[in-house]
Amino acid sequence: MVKYIIQRFLMMIVTILIIATLTFFLMHAIPGSPLDSDRTTNPAIQENLEKFYKLDQPLSSQYVSYLKSIITFDFGPSIKKPNETVNSLISRGFPISFELGMVTILVAVISGVILGTLAALRHNGVVDYLAMTFAVVGISLPNFILATLVIKVFAGELGWFPAATWQSPMHMVLPTLALATGPMAIIARLTRASMLEVLTQDYIKMAKAKGLKPWKIIIRYALRNAMMPVVTIMGTMLASILTGTFVIEKIFAIPGMGKYFVESINNRDYPVIMGTTVFYSTFLVVMLFLVDIVYGILDPRIKLHKKEGDAS
Amino acid sequence: MRKKWLPLVFMALLMLVLAACTASKDAGKDETSKDGGKKEEKVLRLNNGVEPSSFDPSVAFDAVSWAPLNNLMEGLVRLNDKNEPEPAMAEKIDVSDDGLTYTFTLRDNAKWSNGDNVTAGDFVYGWKHMLDPETASPAAFLAYVVDGAESYNTGKGKPEDIAIEAKDDKTFVVKLNAPTEAFLNIISNPSFFPVNEKVATENPKWFTEADSFVANGPFKLESWDHDSKMVFAKNDQYWDKDTVKLDKVEWAMVNDSSTEYQMYQSDELDISTVPSELAEQLKDNKELTNQDQAGIAFYRFNVDKKPFTNQKVRKAFALAVDQQNIVDYVTKQGQKAAHGFVSYGLTNAKGEDFREVTGDLITFNKEEAKKLLKEGLKEEGWSKIPAVTLTYSTSPDNKKIAEALQSQFKENLGVDIKLKNVEPAVFMTEQKELKHQLSRSSFLFDYADPVNAIESFVTDSTMNRTGWSNKEFDKLIADSKKETDNEKRWKMLQDAEKILIDEAPIVPLYFYNQLALQKPSVTGVVRHPVGYLELKWADKK
Repeated sequence: MVKYIIQRFLMMIVTILIIATLTFFLMHAIPGSPLDSDRTTNPAIQENLEKFYKLDQPLSSQYVSYLKSIITFDFGPSIKKPNETVNSLISRGFPISFELGMVTILVAVISGVILGTLAALRHNGVVDYLAMTFAVVGISLPNFILATLVIKVFAGELGWFPAATWQSPMHMVLPTLALATGPMAIIARLTRASMLEVLTQDYIKMAKAKGLKPWKIIIRYALRNAMMPVVTIMGTMLASILTGTFVIEKIFAIPGMGKYFVESINNRDYPVIMGTTVFYSTFLVVMLFLVDIVYGILDPRIKLHKKEGDAS
Repeated sequence: MRKKWLPLVFMALLMLVLAACTASKDAGKDETSKDGGKKEEKVLRLNNGVEPSSFDPSVAFDAVSWAPLNNLMEGLVRLNDKNEPEPAMAEKIDVSDDGLTYTFTLRDNAKWSNGDNVTAGDFVYGWKHMLDPETASPAAFLAYVVDGAESYNTGKGKPEDIAIEAKDDKTFVVKLNAPTEAFLNIISNPSFFPVNEKVATENPKWFTEADSFVANGPFKLESWDHDSKMVFAKNDQYWDKDTVKLDKVEWAMVNDSSTEYQMYQSDELDISTVPSELAEQLKDNKELTNQDQAGIAFYRFNVDKKPFTNQKVRKAFALAVDQQNIVDYVTKQGQKAAHGFVSYGLTNAKGEDFREVTGDLITFNKEEAKKLLKEGLKEEGWSKIPAVTLTYSTSPDNKKIAEALQSQFKENLGVDIKLKNVEPAVFMTEQKELKHQLSRSSFLFDYADPVNAIESFVTDSTMNRTGWSNKEFDKLIADSKKETDNEKRWKMLQDAEKILIDEAPIVPLYFYNQLALQKPSVTGVVRHPVGYLELKWADKK
């Protein structure tokens, strides 16, 4: 186990380095510079700016100083927001995105699993069709449409919730609703499918035959095994939702970090691009690692060290 | 062993959620205590769109920084409701006969929000900070009319050689290198605000947080929740505080125009911009205000690429554009059609508007356009017109206009052109490298003088981006800068604009405007054509 974790850890570092290097060179390959503007520019002022942000140095030395910044996790100041460092942007935005993401994930997982389980138990019944219609709509409806819709209805027409900004728990309701529907629908469908399969297994029949209470069978035996596919997608889902979503945060004016992923590229704000990329890929790799560990917990047949043996 | 894991994971999750909830509960409490105040406060709720890029007056160089900053601080002059610079921090302004030396006498009651006096030294400090090459201020070029400023900023001169001086605490003297009619207007720009030397020496990052920010304008910065919200409170140290009627200004940062509009509808905002998809629906709304903004949307011809190497072909394309049609049926935001390059709202000492005096220099004329195109093709010996591609930076609004132009060229000239959209930053680079044939552009004034716009097209200006060069035009601009008689100078600029439109390296489309929804209870908000949102006289019933 320990050996496996160390190996995985080293692999993680290599992965992040490769991602970071690719991003660095891709980013410099696209035309445009963070200092471009539509206004009249004075060459002298342009030079002052380039010197200030060290953009006048050759690419190789920029790469070296950037590698240093990864190791120390200090990406320096943002170019478009001269008062801010990349670290301050992330440390301010991430907790907010994380808070919204965590609530969203909880809502999505709990309601998704319940919905999926009910659908499986009432297979081909009314509940099943209703739940699956809901799931299909949830998956196909993009969240920005849903977001605009819930703002219009619940904030504009009914006035139950504030339309946007991030101040109180009331402000969380609409963005959570808009953000959770998609993942919830995916989880509901996955749970239903694997639940249907699990329910036909011998050990469930055995449990039934032994006269165990139905809810106990579901929760203790069926659900646990049915969760495997859900856990599989949780890794990427967690990473993408917890680090913030551009569209939802923009629509609801939530000061999370989701916008930096997109804005930094539009602005060619090199330090912010690098900071967010490294941050996101680290987060993603760690999540995938955790998922692997959770596999082992849910299904003891999956032995971590064995998997490693399979690979070699 | 196995079973112990699950509760642990759950516990961890639960704790995270609880932690998250406590944070937001605090935020909620904060709000209720604020609402619980007994006195009826006048709070204006605005949206700044995004976080201001910087509140360092020297570094800020965009409307999202300048609109708030203009209400927190004040320079020597402030624009009044007629867009004229009026003495502000300065009480008296003396100009020497040659128009080169300005002597500003500061008010006795000019104070910072921390109680310090605003001194002439604070202006010297602020201006030198802006011109310091280390500051890398994008606005520094505005100060190049000050003697010695350019050489210091470009690393050739010394700070001592900049011709600004604090004669004593209350007297600030500036020497210019050429008489500049617009000088007082230029220094109403936030880049010329003073910086409290004492505060800035102790804490060079004084402008980044509400706690350390010192204001000298109508409002002070009460709180600044980055990326989320700012609250301004009336500044009781301000020399003209009796004029200021609002108690507070709350700035949201909502970067989505349809959300902003919904918040306006549900009474969470007092002023909102108009989402372009709702422009038509709202065009007769009584809460709409529409004001000029000095700036123009236009297209550039590349005079180095066929067929626009020929003046007559360029002019033919320019005449085939129906500006009024675009404003009425495409943009639909209440802009004015542009028949020249200099916007409305720029006046001389006699109060005459440059655009109105100069008149329309180009208007849609299908017959003339067709005739010129034929002549142009004949001059070049082309049997048919070389392929034309129109390039614009990707955005829904730019796309609509590009498509309208495409159909106008087809209908009015019988020419099929191709459209191409490019990601904005790539577009900008390509345009500067003169890679496009015909491309979209815009210009916003930095200060209220026609020369600011027209001089963009002198040979080799970074704003030229057409390859166009005209000796007579260059000479008119250069001469106008030396001219002390303002009437003659005005005339030179009019002549230059005529050459520009007639030679047609560009075709104007429409002038920008400031369109907003504003609750009837709000009065006295001033929006300058060149300048920044002004709340000093604003009131809310």
